[in-house]
Amino acid sequence: MRSKAATLANLHTARYVITAAANALWRNRTMNVGAIITTAIMLITLAAFLAINDTLDQMVVGLGRKSNLIAYVRDEARPSAITELVRDLQRRPGVAEVRYVTKEEALAQFRSQFVEQADLLDLLQSNPLPPSVELRMNDPAALPALAGELRGRGDLFDDVVVPLDVVERLTSISNVSRAVGTAMVIALTGVTLFVIVNTIRIAVYARRQEIEIMKLVGATDWFVRGPFVLEGAAIGAIGALLAAITLVIIYAQAAPTVARIIAFLPISTDLEFVRYLAVFTVLVGLVVGALGSYFSVRRYLSV
Amino acid sequence: MIVLQGVTKRYDDLLALDDVTLAIGRGEFAFLVGTNGAGKTTLIKLLIREERADRGVILLGGVDVTAVSGAALTRLRRRIGVVFQDTRLLPNATVAENVALPLQVRGGDAASVDAAVRDVLQRVGLADLGERRPRHLSGGELRKAAIARAVVGRPDVLLCDEPTESLSPDKGREIVELLLRFNGDGVTTLVATHDRDIVDHLRRRVIHMHAGRISSDAPVGVFDAP
Repeated sequence: MRSKAATLANLHTARYVITAAANALWRNRTMNVGAIITTAIMLITLAAFLAINDTLDQMVVGLGRKSNLIAYVRDEARPSAITELVRDLQRRPGVAEVRYVTKEEALAQFRSQFVEQADLLDLLQSNPLPPSVELRMNDPAALPALAGELRGRGDLFDDVVVPLDVVERLTSISNVSRAVGTAMVIALTGVTLFVIVNTIRIAVYARRQEIEIMKLVGATDWFVRGPFVLEGAAIGAIGALLAAITLVIIYAQAAPTVARIIAFLPISTDLEFVRYLAVFTVLVGLVVGALGSYFSVRRYLSV
Repeated sequence: MIVLQGVTKRYDDLLALDDVTLAIGRGEFAFLVGTNGAGKTTLIKLLIREERADRGVILLGGVDVTAVSGAALTRLRRRIGVVFQDTRLLPNATVAENVALPLQVRGGDAASVDAAVRDVLQRVGLADLGERRPRHLSGGELRKAAIARAVVGRPDVLLCDEPTESLSPDKGREIVELLLRFNGDGVTTLVATHDRDIVDHLRRRVIHMHAGRISSDAPVGVFDAP
């Protein structure tokens, strides 16, 4: 009987909390609209930076993929040993693609690349070009070690050619880009959270008397906190939703144009990435809004 | 119902209450009078645990106010109705919503809360003003709304801090008559006031405070200390 009464009281309280949150959203609309706009602006900035950072990262990875390692196969190398090595290399981390280029393919490549000198080859009795193993990398950082390993296989290869200066430069750019990007994302995330939480804190501060009164008439902490947390979550989610919608619209409009103008940038024109970003933004808004309110109210609950 | 024993409260250099000992019986009505800074408001704040005493014991209905916390403090506050000096009505809520608050914090269902709010607003003479915001009420109406909020939960104790301040004598008397009516229902009532007319007119128990101490306590007293 007693527990049934307690359950009913809890249900009435839950109903009150939801109604009070909805009422407070409307009644404090001027301040809440300010908080929503602030949240939206901060999240748009953060999400835009995440998109830019991702594009730069893709660019570095893309450039890395162009770095080739060419290992020229000895004439006397056993084909089965080469085949086995190619299979092994394909499984290595950082390796995007391994391709065995036959003598005939090498000759065809030479003819297509050096059309004007093609008749030089006709003077020769046989094809002088060796077969080779070509590697394309996902991660150029793995290239020097791999080159060293292949050079150690003198039984299979005559020579191993690696554009090390390009590799080193790309690795360095990649490392700097990732470090700067990560630092910027962390800093901007911190600033975004700080601004959103402080906006909510100001809104809560303006209503601190309401919290004190509720406590003095016998409200539990959760009775006081509930509407504020729901309100904060709603403000965060609405602000984030605005940011996400703005982001999707801008991306859908701008990405194809930017991709056309700056062709070398690996900008994805499909909306999948930005959809993930939008969902992430809304979740961030919701959680930050709720937690911001939770902690902002806490300091006034000690009445 | 209310017992203070050796209660002291200090704000930095100011000794607000100095070794105060006092007892008010169940259902009693008492005035707390004294000049500004005598310690009246501090005493009320200690009774509702808005402030903590530095020393001494405060019992309210047998519960040690200085020792309770958490859920026990919440339960204790539900037994006390308070009419604050500045009313402290929520400005964005209607009068009815303000009055409903003490019942809603207890998890009352909407129908019973509405009925109780209607009833108490009727009793204080604000039956038609339930949907108004506090900023649209006169001084007297604000006090009545604050009283309605204080008594709607049928508290054991009613504490009032200057409930007639800035009101005309007529309005002041109206407010005190309301308080007496609720006191008649058995609510122990303590009224801190500067209102000489009302204190002298009613001839009830008068507790005089001066510089944080109880200077006199007369069962049938007047505003001026003996």
